[in-house]
Amino acid sequence: MNRSVPARSEELAVHRRLMRFGEAESLMTPMWEQHATSVRAIAGHLASLWDVPVGHDDGGDPLVTEKGLPHGRASVLNLLVTVVDEEAAERVVRTMVGLGVRHPSRAIVLVPQHGSDGPPIDARISTHCNDVAGGGDRVCYEEVVLTVRGEAAEHLSGIVAPLLIHDLPTHIWWPGDPPWGDPVFEQLVEMGDRVIVDSGDFTDLLGAMRRTSTLRRRSGVGDLSWERLGWWQELTAQFFDAPRFRRYLPNLSRLHVRYALPPPASRRHDEDQDVAPGTPAPMAQALLYSGWIATRLGWRRHRTIEPLAGGRLRLRLEGRHEMVDLLIEPAMTDDVRPGDLLSVRLRSLGETGAAEFIVDRDGDDAMVATNADGMTALLRRVPMESPREPELLSSQLTMDVVDRVYEDALRAAAILLASAREAAA
Amino acid sequence: MTARTGGPAPGQHQRASYDDRQPRPNPLREGLRLERMAEPCTMVICGATGDLAERKLAPALYNCLLGGFLPPEFTVVGFARRELSDDAFADHLLEGINEFSRNRPAKPAIWQSFARGVEYHRGDFDDPEAYVELAKRLDRIDRDRGTAGNRLFYLAVPPALYPEIVNQLDAAGLASPGDRRRSGSKRGWTRVIVEKPFGSDLDSARTLNRELADVFNEEQVYRIDHYLGKETVQNLAVFRFGNGLFEPIWNRRYIDSVQITVAETVGVEGRGEFYDATGALRDIVQGHALQLMAMFAMDPPVEFHAEDLRDEKMKVLRGVKPMSPADVATNTVRGQYVSGWVEGEKVASYRDAPEVEPDSQTETFVALKLGIDSWRWAGVPFYLRSGKALPSRVTEIAVQFKQAPLALFARAGVPQIDPNVLAIRVQPDEGILLRFGAKVPGQGLQIRTVNMDFRYGSSFAVDSPDAYETLLLDAMVGDASLFTRDDEVERAWEILDPILDAWQAGAGGPLHFYGAGTWGPPAADELLERDGRAWRRP
Repeated sequence: MNRSVPARSEELAVHRRLMRFGEAESLMTPMWEQHATSVRAIAGHLASLWDVPVGHDDGGDPLVTEKGLPHGRASVLNLLVTVVDEEAAERVVRTMVGLGVRHPSRAIVLVPQHGSDGPPIDARISTHCNDVAGGGDRVCYEEVVLTVRGEAAEHLSGIVAPLLIHDLPTHIWWPGDPPWGDPVFEQLVEMGDRVIVDSGDFTDLLGAMRRTSTLRRRSGVGDLSWERLGWWQELTAQFFDAPRFRRYLPNLSRLHVRYALPPPASRRHDEDQDVAPGTPAPMAQALLYSGWIATRLGWRRHRTIEPLAGGRLRLRLEGRHEMVDLLIEPAMTDDVRPGDLLSVRLRSLGETGAAEFIVDRDGDDAMVATNADGMTALLRRVPMESPREPELLSSQLTMDVVDRVYEDALRAAAILLASAREAAA
Repeated sequence: MTARTGGPAPGQHQRASYDDRQPRPNPLREGLRLERMAEPCTMVICGATGDLAERKLAPALYNCLLGGFLPPEFTVVGFARRELSDDAFADHLLEGINEFSRNRPAKPAIWQSFARGVEYHRGDFDDPEAYVELAKRLDRIDRDRGTAGNRLFYLAVPPALYPEIVNQLDAAGLASPGDRRRSGSKRGWTRVIVEKPFGSDLDSARTLNRELADVFNEEQVYRIDHYLGKETVQNLAVFRFGNGLFEPIWNRRYIDSVQITVAETVGVEGRGEFYDATGALRDIVQGHALQLMAMFAMDPPVEFHAEDLRDEKMKVLRGVKPMSPADVATNTVRGQYVSGWVEGEKVASYRDAPEVEPDSQTETFVALKLGIDSWRWAGVPFYLRSGKALPSRVTEIAVQFKQAPLALFARAGVPQIDPNVLAIRVQPDEGILLRFGAKVPGQGLQIRTVNMDFRYGSSFAVDSPDAYETLLLDAMVGDASLFTRDDEVERAWEILDPILDAWQAGAGGPLHFYGAGTWGPPAADELLERDGRAWRRP
């Protein structure tokens, strides 16, 4: 008889951190693992999953059955993830343990191995169940990992289509550098309502930003690097919620953004490492942040003061009332994730003199200061924990509309980068 | 060519600025997730050393802070009689957070930063000088911390103290919005939050409203009922008006009856004196149950704004006709629990509870049959019940739909199928359940009732904000949608006063007794059986 087993401790750790459930329990059914299987067999197994009682560890209630069972199957979306290898697939699976409770879904992880010999499809299917807050209830969702080889790897959409739960939105998460122009990528994107990328993973940042800005899906494009900026944007906007400081906004004359770059030969140990570890484009967040401010305030490109070199650039932008000095520069540190912002300084010229608005990261906190009206008016400490990938993804999965503000910021970021690069060339 | 009507003369360069009096929206806010950012303000908690501040307000403020909903200028001033330093008051709030917050313990660095905006103002509520000093303090805070003259007074004190406090606030010039203040900051808003109970009958409610109205405009007054801050109550409007499926059937044509249950397992638990003077009708039905009913039954508002919502709720309440004494005897049941067992524990009789009169006639259970005289609801009975020491803690609205017009499967030996039920659970498992009949697989025709069950916990397994977080933020933002307006309060009493009067006069039927741990007296069941219906067992 099959027995349920507690999910691995690291999976639970992610889950607990994400959901703050304290003693939440995550259980998974035994893996259904088939070498050289077929789409029909996989679909058949997925359909049967919810009929089969699976004994609980303590011999009590069955863990998973749909009919007459105490545990609910909830599905709110399909999530398709394509990764380069089995190692990345493992990390996706770990991420999903945390996501499953908030976004009960059918997650299909695809590992295409184009040049590989062997059977076309290997499949691993498991059902994860999580106790939900308040106790008593347990929500289950499915996870499918498909290794697809040879010619079949050229036709992933045909393999995936019969396995999606119908009438639910389908999100495509593409960790790493998307293979722009690849027919397989195009096909999968075509199946999705929303595509989620991480611009920090782009090898060719400028080219990929431009490509991303041309993707048109029903629910648009999500970007984990953009999501990482959420709290920075909030803190920045808060400066100008107060009417007395909002008057400084049209007269901003300087924006200085610092971001983290790992020291050479340093590799930060991180137990919740991203699915695509390493950050080929650590400048992405700083550019997106600058692009966001620029588009919200109507700044335009004027000229390059310092072309891009060593991750640093300096541009002159034309604001509505002032010329704006934009400086983006890295700072060597391995205290935070590469690419994360370290500080933002906005300087403005108001009627009563200069004002400065500062967010300065300090570990898991940040110091937020406003120096305006001739005094250090406000100094406060706020939380600034780096969100982990499951949290970012979870937040992105709740979005079902096109994020125009992101799209504007992305286009502006590409323009800023192009300006600095053209000057360098 | 058009004539210039204002602005700088041609060629005259001026530095751009936003007009403080009519600030443009913050352009950086567009598209951000946190759209409900509170305005810079000072929150003055009157009765700051009490239970409410510690258990509810401090955790709610801290969670709003963590969520990024509080602006950097936000300042708290505790106002109470006890001698306390600023630090000691901040520690009092911190203790509340560390014990009662859903995010606990507080992060030291974050708290210390927040605590710099926490002050304590000692004073007696009847001492005019205390308010004069409070006004000076608030002006100083406006200058030092940029709170822009915005003030939120939270009256966390017994209602008997409201008149004293609001009159003293007025006398000190603290009740007016900034543009009408006599001294100090000339900008900003002033709002006041008052806690239920809003009176104990129509006369006392009118008196209270009048006393508040003597000092504040109605739009400055936020009457808080934490039930209305719950997610499911807010979802009622989304469920009804955001889905095309339900609104067409939300009327007398399709709905047979509605049951609203607010059940508690606890007894009076140390509130004997208060409860014995109050009873279930005043404690639960006046606020929670009638508000749930109004939100359930209201017509779609023209816009989703506070006044439109409250206008629609008010129309529902106006449609509920007050009962005659004879109606009270027929359509109400009151009960009081005697000893029994609830959740495995023995519960003593209500009359044996501390501070309860040994011959108390106070109802701990009430069941009512109400109707709404409106085009939409005429003839649909609304059954309300609420009680203490009941078998389970549950708040729900259950809609029973009419039977299918023809018993089509009767010839196949299938009796009439149970009516469809839509149950909207407010607590504890917030969610929505739909019950319908389905064929049992196999040869022949067998029909079984099945449930389609949506639970918030299952589909949105995230910590919902506590009702106080939602409501405090609403008050800071100026959204009164989830607060009760003066006319709603008075109308509720107009509905309930005749019941109280009839009971008082002995004309409204006897006080029934029920065992703790049961669903009320048998008379409550008979109230529905008479109509060919039965209470749900939630």
